[in-house]
Amino acid sequence: MIVTVRLFGPLAEQAGKPRLEVSVTEATVGAVLAAVAVAAPALRLDRSVRAAVNTDYAGAEAPLREGDIVSLIPPVGGG
Amino acid sequence: MFKVTTEPLSIDEAYAAVRRDDCGAVALFAGVVRDHHDGKKVLSISYSAFQEMAEKEFARIAEEARARWKLGAVWIAHRTGALGIGDASVVIAVSSAHRAEAFEACRHAIEALKKMAPIWKEEFTETGRSWVSG
Repeated sequence: MIVTVRLFGPLAEQAGKPRLEVSVTEATVGAVLAAVAVAAPALRLDRSVRAAVNTDYAGAEAPLREGDIVSLIPPVGGG
Repeated sequence: MFKVTTEPLSIDEAYAAVRRDDCGAVALFAGVVRDHHDGKKVLSISYSAFQEMAEKEFARIAEEARARWKLGAVWIAHRTGALGIGDASVVIAVSSAHRAEAFEACRHAIEALKKMAPIWKEEFTETGRSWVSG
């Protein structure tokens, strides 16, 4: 499955682009994170980075459906 | 009631949105761009957001507050783009029948927003620029 991944804030800067696509055999957030780490080694993907499926935070075990967008949420600074 | 916008934030708009005849209290919080951080002089701040998700998080935070306190209305707005010293970056307004609930819920909302809202802050100081979280 091809999954679109959106990058924000410092992650978009590190990648030099706001989105990328990865191919995964297992349809979970965790598999996408692993694929992103391979596809974009410049990204600092430590435990402080959260993930969202579409517009909700999601854990690594969260399943993905065709068309879902995974967003990587680095430490936030609103307020 | 929940928005991320590039437009300047209005306290009057937030107040008018939450004021109700059955509410004797309106608590308002404004987060404002400060001229210093970690001993450095701040020149400006640039905020960016994952807008759809941030607005959904604002609504969720308001629901969370409603589950804990008896409230009238909740307004949460955050600005994005380049902000100068003194510009409001966030405005939260909460109404309730009595003041305790409005104060507590307003405090809860800003603390939750700072942890959960997908919004990023880039700070420009005399010595350079950096992403600031927390």
